[in-house]
Amino acid sequence: MRRFEPVAGASAWEALIEPEEAALLATLARQLQVLLAESLEPGADSDPALRALLPDPYRHDPELAEEWRRLSRRGLVERKTGFARTLADLVDPVADAEHAQPVRVTADEALDWVRGIGSLRLVVAERLGIVDDSEPLGSMGENVSVLAEVYDFLGWVQDDLVRVLEQAEGHPTHE
Amino acid sequence: MPAMPTVPLLVEEGAEEEGALLTRERHAAEVPWTTTVWNDPVNLMSYVAWVFRRHFGMDAAAAERAMLQVHHDGRAVVAQGNRELMERHAEAMHEYGLQATVERAPA
Repeated sequence: MRRFEPVAGASAWEALIEPEEAALLATLARQLQVLLAESLEPGADSDPALRALLPDPYRHDPELAEEWRRLSRRGLVERKTGFARTLADLVDPVADAEHAQPVRVTADEALDWVRGIGSLRLVVAERLGIVDDSEPLGSMGENVSVLAEVYDFLGWVQDDLVRVLEQAEGHPTHE
Repeated sequence: MPAMPTVPLLVEEGAEEEGALLTRERHAAEVPWTTTVWNDPVNLMSYVAWVFRRHFGMDAAAAERAMLQVHHDGRAVVAQGNRELMERHAEAMHEYGLQATVERAPA
């Protein structure tokens, strides 16, 4: 995957994405949607990935926490699901292609992407068992190396989308 | 937090009465709430600073300070105001994948 570049004459950006990368992003985005759907079922909080995805905003107030869960949690789940859907829909056509294809995003879509990836990184980190940000991923053994690569790839895409969104806002790029 | 004005917990009341400066404690409904962002092992420092710029409209220096406070102290108060607004801020942080909570501002 290359960096997103501005499309001349349009408020949009394009990046060349390999079919394997698109398939990976689409698969992760779908798994995220499934996970989010599961979060609305009873007993789902036993999954630590879900607790990271949908943290309790009222950690110190059980009454307000309960009210939030009853009134607002579903809305957050639906918004997060929407971000994942935007991501999956945009990369899906490339996943089935034979060669790398350009994927075009608007600023709004880039904002969905970057938030979808924010959620994906939380889930992948949970599956990797990342609890300490000072621990290099390389020290975690061979069996997690693929997932660790995915985690780093998501970080790279997230960083690139932040650059796109800063361009869209008219701020200087951070690189 | 540098980006948000501090709301005094005591309001002056009846100052017009013979120059007496009376204060009273605020009603619970008037006590402001805060949104706190917590450190996590996943989100990159550059991403957190960008989220603060994007969502709260902080300038680069304020966002950097808040991000570093999260990183070094484990948390930073990023907003103060009524509870509904603080809840919206916390949910917005959760949309980005950051960890945030809503608390009553310390009296």
